[in-house]
Amino acid sequence: MAIIERKPSLELAPAGGVTPRAAAGVFARPTSETGWKSWVTTIDHKKIGILYGVSALFFFLVGGVEALLIRLQLAQPNGKILGAHTYNEMFTMHGTTMIFLFVMPMAAAFGNYMVPLQIGARDVAFPRLNAFGFWCFLFGGCFLYLSWFFGGAPDGGWFAYAPNTGSLFSSSHGMDFYALGLQITGIASLTGAINLIVTILNMRAPGMTLMKMPIFTWMVLVVQFLLVFAIPVISVALFLLLFWRQFGARFFDPGSGGDPLLWQHLFWLFGHPEVYVLILPSFGIVSEVLPVFSKKPLFGYPFVVFSGVAIGFMGWGVWAHHMFASGIGPISVAVFSATTMFIAVPTGVKIINWLATMWGGKLQFTTAMHFAIGLVVMFTIGGLSGVTHAISPSDTQQTDTYYIVAHFHYVLFGGAVLGLFAGFFYWWPKVFGRMLDERLGKITFWLMLIGLNLTFGPMHIVGLQGQPRRQYHYATGLGFDMWNVIETIGAFTIASGVGLFVINAIKSRKGPKAALDPWDARSLEWLSSNPPPPHNYDSTPTVHSIDEFFHRKYEEDEAGELKKVATAEELYEKRVIDEHIHMPSPSYWPIVVAFGLPVVAAGLIFSRWFSVVGGLTVLLGLYAWALEPATAPELPDQHHDPEGPASTEVATVG
Amino acid sequence: MTSGFRARRHAAPTIEPVRSRPRRVAVAGVALLGLVLAGCANKGPESTFRPEGKYAQKIDNLARPWFYIAGVVGLLVFGVVVYIIFKYRARAGDERVPRQLHGNTPLEIMWTAAPAVLLTVMAYFTVTTVISVNKTAKSPMVIEVYGQQWWWEYDYTGPYAGIVTATDLVIPAKTEIQLKISSRDVVHSYWLPRLNGKRDAVPGRTQPMNIEADTPGVYMGQCTEFCGLSHANMRERVIVLSEADFATWAANQLKPAAAPTDAAAVRGAQSFAQRCSSCHQINGSYVDAAGKTVQFAPVDASVSLVSGVAPNLTHLMSRGVFAGGTYDLHVDGDPAKPLNRPDLEAWLRNPSSRKPMAPDERRGMPNLGLTESQIDDLIAYLSTLK
Repeated sequence: MAIIERKPSLELAPAGGVTPRAAAGVFARPTSETGWKSWVTTIDHKKIGILYGVSALFFFLVGGVEALLIRLQLAQPNGKILGAHTYNEMFTMHGTTMIFLFVMPMAAAFGNYMVPLQIGARDVAFPRLNAFGFWCFLFGGCFLYLSWFFGGAPDGGWFAYAPNTGSLFSSSHGMDFYALGLQITGIASLTGAINLIVTILNMRAPGMTLMKMPIFTWMVLVVQFLLVFAIPVISVALFLLLFWRQFGARFFDPGSGGDPLLWQHLFWLFGHPEVYVLILPSFGIVSEVLPVFSKKPLFGYPFVVFSGVAIGFMGWGVWAHHMFASGIGPISVAVFSATTMFIAVPTGVKIINWLATMWGGKLQFTTAMHFAIGLVVMFTIGGLSGVTHAISPSDTQQTDTYYIVAHFHYVLFGGAVLGLFAGFFYWWPKVFGRMLDERLGKITFWLMLIGLNLTFGPMHIVGLQGQPRRQYHYATGLGFDMWNVIETIGAFTIASGVGLFVINAIKSRKGPKAALDPWDARSLEWLSSNPPPPHNYDSTPTVHSIDEFFHRKYEEDEAGELKKVATAEELYEKRVIDEHIHMPSPSYWPIVVAFGLPVVAAGLIFSRWFSVVGGLTVLLGLYAWALEPATAPELPDQHHDPEGPASTEVATVG
Repeated sequence: MTSGFRARRHAAPTIEPVRSRPRRVAVAGVALLGLVLAGCANKGPESTFRPEGKYAQKIDNLARPWFYIAGVVGLLVFGVVVYIIFKYRARAGDERVPRQLHGNTPLEIMWTAAPAVLLTVMAYFTVTTVISVNKTAKSPMVIEVYGQQWWWEYDYTGPYAGIVTATDLVIPAKTEIQLKISSRDVVHSYWLPRLNGKRDAVPGRTQPMNIEADTPGVYMGQCTEFCGLSHANMRERVIVLSEADFATWAANQLKPAAAPTDAAAVRGAQSFAQRCSSCHQINGSYVDAAGKTVQFAPVDASVSLVSGVAPNLTHLMSRGVFAGGTYDLHVDGDPAKPLNRPDLEAWLRNPSSRKPMAPDERRGMPNLGLTESQIDDLIAYLSTLK
C-alpha cells in the first residue's frame, strides 16, 4: 500500500548477517531487468500488463481459429468439415477461450498497466500477488488447452449445463479440464480484483478524490467489485461439478434429491455479472478515447460513473433472464423481465453521454476514434436486441437460436472487442513508445466492422427463422443456407482484419518513436514518459481536476478562450526528480506457487501423486514467499544514507 | 414488416461517414438492401414471424412493436452519430479549442427518465403477456412430452391414454393442448416456433406449455437446448389434423400391433423379438403359424438405454420421419406416400454412421450387425406396423 515511510527495508530485511540479495536463505534473489528471466520473475505492473496482453492476444487468435472452423462447418447445409463431437468441443472452447482467456485477461492487461499510471501510483498494492495472478491465468488457460491432447476438449458448452456435463454423458476428461482450468483462472481474477481494489482505494495521488479519478479506472474498480463477488459463485459451481464427476456427488441428480437447475442458477448468478465484467472495461476505454479525440471532457462524468456503478449493482438482479425457458415459473419470469428492462436504462445513459461528448467537439478520426465510434453504434444494436430478450415471451422464441448469438456478439464483439482495439491504438505509444501504423489500423477497423456486420447481422435473421445454436449441421430448405454463407465470409473478413493488426503490432517494433503526447491526451498517465520508467513517475503528481494532464497544458486567457500554455515536453522537463525511490524486487515465488496449481489439478484427473507433488510445490512456494522481504536489501554500491530525505516511498508491502 | 426493421439495422454500418467513399457506400448499401429483401421473401418453415394459434400470436403481438421501436431508436442513434461526424469533424487550420462543457444535469435527468418510461410501458405489457400465455386452459387435452437423447416421445392421456408416439406429435386443430414437458436424461428444450415459445425439458421437473393450432398442417421444430452429440438431429413435427381425421388416427393408434402374415414379416418379427425388443416396445401380441401366441417382452431397463426407452414402434408406419426426425420414413415425410427404403436400410446397417450416437455408453442405437436378409425381413415386419 501507499506507505510513505522511512527506509522500510531495515525493518523488513532479515536481521543482520544475511547475505545481501538472498531470499529464503537458499536462492539468490532475481535481479534481471531484461531478458526472459526478467519477465518470469517480474512484479512490475507494467510488465505484468504486457504479459497479460500478449497471452490474451495469443488465446484470441486460437479462439478465432476455432470460430473460423465453426463457420467453415456451417458454411453450407449438412457440412462435413467437423464431426459432431469435434464441433461440440470447438464451440465449447471458442466460448470459454474468448470469455475467460481473451476478454477478461485483456481487460486485466489494460487494468494492470493503466490503473497505477492513471492514479499516479508506483505500482499496485501487492505486486507479487499481481504476478501470481497472471501466472495462474496463463497456467490455468494452458491447462484447459492440454485437454485437446489428453482425450478431448470439454464438450458440454461453455455454460456446461448439468446433467449433460456429468461423466455419464461426457465421458472424456474434457469437462474435468474445464472445471479445474477455470478454477485456476478464477484465482487469477480474484487476486487481481482484490489487488486493484486496494490499489485504487488507497494509492491515488494526492488530490485525486474518487470523483476526480479517470473514468477508465472507475470502470475497472466496478469490474473488480463484480469479480470479487462473482468469482466465488462460479468457484462453488465448478467444485460441485468436479465433485460430481470425480467423487460421485449428486447435486444435480433429481433421482437423489438434486436439481439440474441448481447449476443453472449458480452459473448465471456468476454469468450475468460476468457480462458486465467483459463490457465495462471497454466502456471505460471508450470513455477515455472519445473525449481525447473530441477535444472535450467526458459529458456528464458523474452520470457515466454512477451509471457504471448502477450497472454493477443491478447486474446482480437479472441472472434468471438466461433461464426464461428453464421452468422457473411465471412469477420469477415476470420479475426478472422487469429488472432486465431497467438495466437497459444506465446503459442507454452511457451511450447518450458519449454522443453528447462528441457533440460540439472537434473530432479527429484516428484509428482509436474509429473503434470507439464503432463501439457506440454496434453496442447500440446489441443493446436494442437485448431488450427483446427482456421481453420474456419474446425471449422464449429467441433464446438458444442464432438471434441470441447475434445479440451477444454485437455486445461482446461490437462492444467489448472494438473497445479493446480502441485501447490498443490509443495506448500503444504509452506502453511501447512506438506508434502503430494508422493507415493499416483504419483498414483493420473497416475489415472488422464490415466483417462483424456480415457475420453477426444475418444471424438475427436466421435466428428468427428458427436456426438453433450449438448444432453441428442444419438441413437445407429452412431458409438458412444463403445467410450462413454470408456469415462465413464475414468471419474471414474479421480474421483478415485481426491478422492485419498482428502485422501492425509486429511492424511497430521498428515503427516511428512515439512523441510524449501523441494524441493531445487528457488523463494523468500521459504525464509520464513513453514507455514509463519502472517507478512510473519521478515524483508523485498532485491532482487538481479530472482531466489533470489537459489542464496542465491548457489554460483560459482573459477572454475565456482556452489556450495551450505548455506542451507535454515542457511539462516533462519541469518534473521534479525524486532520488529516493525504492521499488519492490522481482521474485521467483509467484510463478512457483502458480505452477503448483495445475499440477495439483492434473492429479485429480490422472494420478493423485501429481497432487502431492503439486501441493508440496505450492506449500514450499508460499513458505518462501512469506519469508521473502518485499524489497531485497540493497547492494553495497547502491547504498545511500538510510536516514535520507523523508520522501522515500515504497510502493508495497505485499 | 419485419424486414423493414432488419433492413435498417443491417444497412446501418454502411452509412459510414467517410466522405471519400460515397460511391462504395452506395453500392454496398444497395447490395445489402437486396440481400435483406431476398431474406424477407424467404419465409422459412420454422420462422417465428409466422405465428399460428393464439399463443404464438400473443407473443408476436408483444414483440413486434418493440422491433419497430428499436428500429426507430437505432436509426435515431445512427442518425445522430452521422450528423456529429460530419458536423463536428476537425477542419484544417481551425486552432480553436472547443468549449469544455462538463455536462448538463436537466438533460441527464431527461435522458435517464425517457428510456425508463418507455421500458416501464414495455415491462407492463410483458408481465401481462407472461401471465396470459401461462394461463392454463379449461380442461385441455394433455399430452406428456419426454425428451431423451436424441428424440422426443409423446404419451397421450385421458381418453387417448395408451397412445405413445415419437417425433411426430399429432393433434386436432382448434383444440387447446397442454403439453407437460420433461426429460429422461439431460436438459432438452421443446420448441415449435410457429406455435409457442420454447420450454426446457428438465429431468425431475415438469413444465406446462400450451399450444393451439387453427389450421391443419405440419409444423416443424427442433430441440434447442444443447443436449450432447446429436443435438442437431433432435427434431420434431406437429401434425395438425382436422377433428375427424384426428379421431380416425387416434382410433388406429389405440389398436394393438397387427400380426405379421407373410413369411418374411414373420421372420422379421422373430428377429425383432431377439434383437430389438429389449429397447423398442411393440404393444399387443399375435398368434404365429405354429399356433403359438407371441408377445414381445417388455422393455428391459437393465440392458437398455440410459434414458430407459427407445421409440415405441407399435404404429411406426403411421409416422412420416424416423431417427429423431433426421430421416424421412416415407417420401417427403408423408405417411401416405411410399416407404423411404434406402435410408431405413442404411440406418439398420449401422445407425451411428447415419446419426452420431454413443451406443457404447448406452446412449443411442447400437450397430446390431444385421445381415442383408435380416434387414429385408425386419423391414418387411416393420412395414406391417401401420
